[in-house]
Amino acid sequence: MANWDKFTETLARGVARGTSRRGLLAWLGGAVTGAAALPVLPVSRAYAAGGHSGSPGRPAQTSGTDQDPGDRTQCDYWRYCAIDGFLCTCCGGTVNSCPPGTEMSPITWIGTCTNPADGRAYVISYNDCCGKSSCGQCLCNRNEGDRPPVRPQSNNDYNWCLGTESSVYNCSTAIIIGVATEPR
Amino acid sequence: MKRVSFSVALAASVALALPVVAQTVAPKAFPKPLAEEPIPNVATLPEKYPASWIMVHDFNFMALADGRGSVVDVADPVNPLKGMVSIAQFGNVLLPKTKAEIYTAETYYTRLSRGERTDVITIWDKANLKPKGEIILPGGKRHQQVTYKNAFQFTNGEKWALISNFTPAQSVSVVDLEGRKVLSEIDLPGCSLIYPTGQRGFTTFCADSTFSTLQLGEDGKLVSTTTSKPILDIDKQPLFGMPAMVGQTAWFVSYYGVLKGFDLSGPVAKPLGKDFNVGTAEGASPEWRPGGWQVLASDAAGKLYVLMNPSGREGSHKDGGTEVWVFAPASKARTARIPVRGPVISIEVTREDKPRLVAARVDAVVDVYDAASGTFQHSLGNTVAFNPQTLSVID
Repeated sequence: MANWDKFTETLARGVARGTSRRGLLAWLGGAVTGAAALPVLPVSRAYAAGGHSGSPGRPAQTSGTDQDPGDRTQCDYWRYCAIDGFLCTCCGGTVNSCPPGTEMSPITWIGTCTNPADGRAYVISYNDCCGKSSCGQCLCNRNEGDRPPVRPQSNNDYNWCLGTESSVYNCSTAIIIGVATEPR
Repeated sequence: MKRVSFSVALAASVALALPVVAQTVAPKAFPKPLAEEPIPNVATLPEKYPASWIMVHDFNFMALADGRGSVVDVADPVNPLKGMVSIAQFGNVLLPKTKAEIYTAETYYTRLSRGERTDVITIWDKANLKPKGEIILPGGKRHQQVTYKNAFQFTNGEKWALISNFTPAQSVSVVDLEGRKVLSEIDLPGCSLIYPTGQRGFTTFCADSTFSTLQLGEDGKLVSTTTSKPILDIDKQPLFGMPAMVGQTAWFVSYYGVLKGFDLSGPVAKPLGKDFNVGTAEGASPEWRPGGWQVLASDAAGKLYVLMNPSGREGSHKDGGTEVWVFAPASKARTARIPVRGPVISIEVTREDKPRLVAARVDAVVDVYDAASGTFQHSLGNTVAFNPQTLSVID
């Protein structure tokens, strides 16, 4: 993480001094396909009623496989380690799909979460679903590692419904995009 | 004519209902009926609001496209909500001292959540809360974020507004509020938020721990950029994004409680070099840290109010607080600890002769305290906003 931050800062500042904004956009686009941390999202934990929220009393949604344990409607599900928003599992989508009629944001923030079942660290992409109003169900927000807006790649207050037809935010997914490897 | 017919029909239906009520309630002998009341009848507000009125930005998380701003009299627990303006879709609100206007920066879609996007600064009349003008912001790039006041600020004696863009490329648009037009757009890759500096400029914080002060020409175009040494330690002392202003000094607080001042009166922002820490106190587990959204406020005398969370740890900085600590920056002394009913996420202090501390809670209840003594005065209840995210004095 520290190396990544230093890298991004150096690069961002280099872009700031030398190139165009499109350059920064290209950099961000590239970063998405890398690893590490591009957290994001729009909702303050303050409005989560207790703990990290989720939705107490809601029937559990599970994967059906022991290798992917946990209730996907609850904030303590292992993939949600860096999420901030309404869980798409409660909004008509699933942990890895957007609700019908929404559009999945191509620009995402990424977390690295450890699966308690197999002990592997997975890179999780928190793609937002956009184009319908706030889902309003299963708000989940954690701020560990969250930093001020001066560092957008690690600030979860931004609305990342960017690059979509509509910037109206509906909910967030948590998609496995690979197994994280140890930084060299 | 249709309207008249409808009114008559409505009146008739009410008249028919009356005898039923009369049968169950014993009538008293009042010699005269109640007076007829005029229709239509719409309330208005004074152009200059009383000092007990503030703007509450209702972010309305459950319907972000329908964010609002509530004009609230914190001295009136009976009828605190005086009126509303819209602040649609991750918007911002800006309150001038020099004009009887309110500015909101908003985003609309023609079909609410889809269709053609319009980013706009709406100019509201303070007395009737009607839109009196607007400035379209081109390019569909207005910064959308849980609201930081410093994404939308004044410069040039409130003649201009500065507004952040995020696509995620970062820039600032300079807007002539009087001429109703966008003057320029200044690229700011790697830097975010706006702290007005000098007569016609602003300072912005950058991801490499520097800050830059940008000065603008009379045409709104960039004239100079001065970049500091890397003194903002984002990893070890990350600063909450919204400062409290004491004159033209911006006071920030870090996640860990360091108070840091910047003099923004001149052509270049200058750190005061008088940092101090909020200190410690009993009653915390594991420790007191600032926590909430708008965690810092100032009063007219220059004291600073910091919202404190007794459960401070990594990731607790938005959880809200249960005490407000008061500091005199000149002496760096803590002068009071005010317990608040909480958790509270945002605080503000009015500019009344006897200032009030206003505390917006996680459950959307807004409570009011005497700022000098810390005594609880009254609660406005859950009556002014779904999600009171920021609170702003209206001068």
